Amino acid sequence: MVCTSRMQRIEAVDIDNRRIVVQAGIVNQWVTNAVRAHGLCYAPDPSSQPACSIGGNVAENSGGPHTLKYGVTTNHVLGLELALPSGELVTLGGAVEDRVGYDLVGLTVGSEGTFGVVTKAVLRLVRTPEAYRTLLAVFESVDGASEAVSGIIAAGIVPAALEMMDRLIMQAVEAAFHVGLPTDAGAVLLVELDGLAVGLDAEADRVRAVCATHGAREVRTARDDAERAALWKCRKRAFGAVGRLAPNYCTQDGVVPRSRVPDIVRRIAAVAERHRLRIANVFHAGDGNIHPILLYDERDPDEVRRVLEAGREILEACVALGGSLTGEHGIGVEKSAQMPLLFGPEDLRAMALLRAVFDPEGRANPHKVFPDAKVCVETRAPRRQVPL
Amino acid sequence: VTRWAEVPGDARPARLPEEAVDGLVPAAVVRPASVALVQECVRAVAARAGSLVASGLGAHLAIGARPRRLDVLLRLDRLDRVLDHQASDMTITVEAGCPLPALAGTLAAAGQWLPLDPPRPEATTVGGLLAANLSGPLRASQGSARDYLIGIRTVAADGAVVAGGGRVVKNVAGYDLPKLHVGALGTVGVIVEATFKVRPGPADEEAVVISCPTIAAAARAARAVLDGDAPPFWLEIGAAADLAAGPGDGVAVAVGLAGRAEEIAFGRERVLAAAAALGLDAVAVEGGAALRTRLAGFAAEPAAAVLRLATLPADVGRVMEAVEAAGAHLRCLASAANGVVRVAVPEAGAAVALVRALRPEAEARGGSLVVERAVPAVKAELDVWGDPGAGLPLMRRLKAAFDPGGLFAPGRFVGGI
Repeated sequence: MVCTSRMQRIEAVDIDNRRIVVQAGIVNQWVTNAVRAHGLCYAPDPSSQPACSIGGNVAENSGGPHTLKYGVTTNHVLGLELALPSGELVTLGGAVEDRVGYDLVGLTVGSEGTFGVVTKAVLRLVRTPEAYRTLLAVFESVDGASEAVSGIIAAGIVPAALEMMDRLIMQAVEAAFHVGLPTDAGAVLLVELDGLAVGLDAEADRVRAVCATHGAREVRTARDDAERAALWKCRKRAFGAVGRLAPNYCTQDGVVPRSRVPDIVRRIAAVAERHRLRIANVFHAGDGNIHPILLYDERDPDEVRRVLEAGREILEACVALGGSLTGEHGIGVEKSAQMPLLFGPEDLRAMALLRAVFDPEGRANPHKVFPDAKVCVETRAPRRQVPL
Repeated sequence: VTRWAEVPGDARPARLPEEAVDGLVPAAVVRPASVALVQECVRAVAARAGSLVASGLGAHLAIGARPRRLDVLLRLDRLDRVLDHQASDMTITVEAGCPLPALAGTLAAAGQWLPLDPPRPEATTVGGLLAANLSGPLRASQGSARDYLIGIRTVAADGAVVAGGGRVVKNVAGYDLPKLHVGALGTVGVIVEATFKVRPGPADEEAVVISCPTIAAAARAARAVLDGDAPPFWLEIGAAADLAAGPGDGVAVAVGLAGRAEEIAFGRERVLAAAAALGLDAVAVEGGAALRTRLAGFAAEPAAAVLRLATLPADVGRVMEAVEAAGAHLRCLASAANGVVRVAVPEAGAAVALVRALRPEAEARGGSLVVERAVPAVKAELDVWGDPGAGLPLMRRLKAAFDPGGLFAPGRFVGGI
């Protein structure tokens, strides 16, 4: 195992051109910390941003709540330094936006470490928005909240973030942080609008109107930065609070077309009932990226079996609705056997050709991403969540 | 010619001059009407050890190096359908030969758009937009094709249909195969279908034009706008006459604004104030979209060559000064937020000399100078692409993996690929 966590240096900051060059092991949050005083930030903000590295973000093409408006990692990486399995170090792309030739940077981002080890990245920085409006819309049911998500998108509004939390996750978060979430409600939507102050209140009114149409019983608005921070703390630390609900949990990551969020939420509820499991939901509703959290106790082998089965069924439901097996966490080992649900033999063969361009012997992160006839992987335990 | 007349897809002789590629006349032109026929066509050309260039409506065939050989021009303009517009998901799936006006019309009916503004949109297909990675002024705030393409279907060198990505806006399952084909000029497969994420269209557009005495003053004004409170929708620096700033030899900065009336009013006020603070005259012009479309056309305007210099945004002024020093009658248009400077050169000999004069420094600074479009006389004299950098060996391996027989436009891409 090659661990890049000691490679944390910022090698160059170019405020004029809004670029930063960092080593792969730097923590995501530190990048923004380094440029915040200049009114800039690094846009992709996974919930794990105080703990995850840019190298990992590049490997997984990580997202986060604000990628709805600002895009995911691949939209913000201009250059990479990559150690190929041959031992050769190559520089791909760079600070200048237009590159000549194939988009090797774009291909490497999201390749899950199967091309080599990313050692350095040239990142694009964006302006910190002038103003925010952060709303918390309270719904009696998950159905109502997910219908409102579709309504907001259909109204032509592109919020910076559009997140959903259901009752189970709210109860855990409230027990942990005491921020006054309505734990009797079915679900809440966290809607953030950002940009120029002018026009933002009108847009917030449109969001309120859509929420009201879909049965919101209340729409709260963060009055200041402290209230906004408190709302985001709930959302970003939700996973940490899950420990209050069960000894163990497994977070799934799937995608559906965003108009199908209501359907997948109903299917998740049906899966939970069928397998006698508790499943909490906290997810990026605006781009259809769901994160059902399956609760269990690892001392109960039958429950473990049911969690694995339920996770597979939820992903199959995502694919059946026209979605994908993963929106931001990657395929890894756990989902490799399900890749044929999405891709045919010719598609997978093309991906194998591409991999061999970078890693002909398959030595970088072997046996990941693709179904491997030579290795029969049987997942016996759900992937553990790294505690934050 | 008879060998190629058997290729499926209504083979016929080329119409000249529009179906020649850099002066090369294909032995046959085919226009298959289905993906299955494209597959048959690719297999037939491969079986005859030939080569093909994929094309849509032919508006952008002057991009790239001269192919080493060309047997069949594969026109995809019969694959022109919009297949699936999911307005509530803000995604659209179209065939590669779909012209941009048809795509735009479908989206506009739902108040949406694909915010990419290439030159000659009326003669541009989706396949060409992607293969040539075309963009225009909008790129300053909206990004480029790679930021909107979420799924693709291609026909590979063995005739198989290969899909990548999907139809959802967030997706990291498998490799990002769509990005392989953006800007690849059809050298690793034939694009037959694409899925995009789209955005709500702007309520309105406007522009403010700032008149400047010198390039340096224009670069300062552009910087002030970029660093100001109102992020520009687009931002171009060029000749005053080109930017609707009146006659004369001066330079001007055009700033695009978009949104609802109050947002545009705010932006206009801030840009006018930024210009005033620098002692420059500025004027708001209506029809911002029309000016933007006209500027987008610069990349494809008639000239012996249009060069594209890529640099850091802060170096745009310096690059424009270097171009000015090299020739008094050159016309320049710079996308100031992206660091792209285009130069239209009227005469072939001057274009070759200019590339030789400016390319070494452009590359030494980590940028590039690409001959974006040129007449055959220019392409015969120099490498249109320049040095693609340390990734070239990987690019060669990539081409060899996806097109081992040299079927797809051999020689048209970087490094003779």
